[in-house]
Amino acid sequence: MTQEHALKIFKSLSDMSRLRIVQSLTQGEMYTELLAERLELTPSTVSFHMKKLEEAGLVISRKEQYYTVYSLNRELLKASLLEVAASESEQIDEQQKREETYRQKVIDTFFEYGKLKSIPVQRKKKRICYELIAGQFVPGKVYSEKELNEIIVQFHEDYCTIRRDMISEGILSRNGNKYMLGNDVVRE
Amino acid sequence: MKEFIEYLTLQIEAGKKDIADLEKSGRKDDADFAKVRTNIYDICRTVTNALINRPGAGKEAVRAQLGRFEKEWSAALDKAREHGDARNVVVGETKLEALEDVIAHFPEDKR
Repeated sequence: MTQEHALKIFKSLSDMSRLRIVQSLTQGEMYTELLAERLELTPSTVSFHMKKLEEAGLVISRKEQYYTVYSLNRELLKASLLEVAASESEQIDEQQKREETYRQKVIDTFFEYGKLKSIPVQRKKKRICYELIAGQFVPGKVYSEKELNEIIVQFHEDYCTIRRDMISEGILSRNGNKYMLGNDVVRE
Repeated sequence: MKEFIEYLTLQIEAGKKDIADLEKSGRKDDADFAKVRTNIYDICRTVTNALINRPGAGKEAVRAQLGRFEKEWSAALDKAREHGDARNVVVGETKLEALEDVIAHFPEDKR
């Protein structure tokens, strides 16, 4: 377990509603509506809390007809606090961490549900957004202009501007009417 | 409209108390949703105060604005549901629930 995971576990449990959900689940599997009724919360609020618990690996869900049934990840919950607290940090240096936080902030600002809301003016931000779009292209694959546009338009209607910018940024390379990922692209 | 504004003020005060209670009992996320709900009453009160005495606006303009909120927020909620965005589904439902209550207390003209 990494320190980041340990932090997620502690954060998700440091909320009384989620602690009460975990407490209810100690009695057995339950579905959203039943938990909502027991805890006097709306089903969507329960779903929100369940998502956090799931992200921390504390609960497991499975679909059963129309319902999502939740149960505790007992293996993880059996770990002692000492074991969780002694988890090791991932070796990511501070600079890298800051850059990743900045990148995520730009993505969260400019993208909504996978669509680019507007093209950033600032070059650095623009590049981050374009690199995310570039993630849709297969390295080494040659694309026609039509294929390229069809991919870009899924993100933003102004595919011409984006295509041109991606070429000038070196994210895409162009040879006549053929396009492929450029060498100057950071891949995920 | 005076009673309507008083109702909104009461809801804001009750909301503040809910937020404080939830925070005190360690329910930070639920307190955040209570803040969303309280903000809706606050927004509606601000809109009402701003439009009610404005020349060419008045009561009808307030009702029309509430209708516009309903439309915009419903669309945002549909989008959140479509994308399985758990947080924004709760936020959207909370906003619309509060707005529904505001509209239910809006003094409609007797016909």
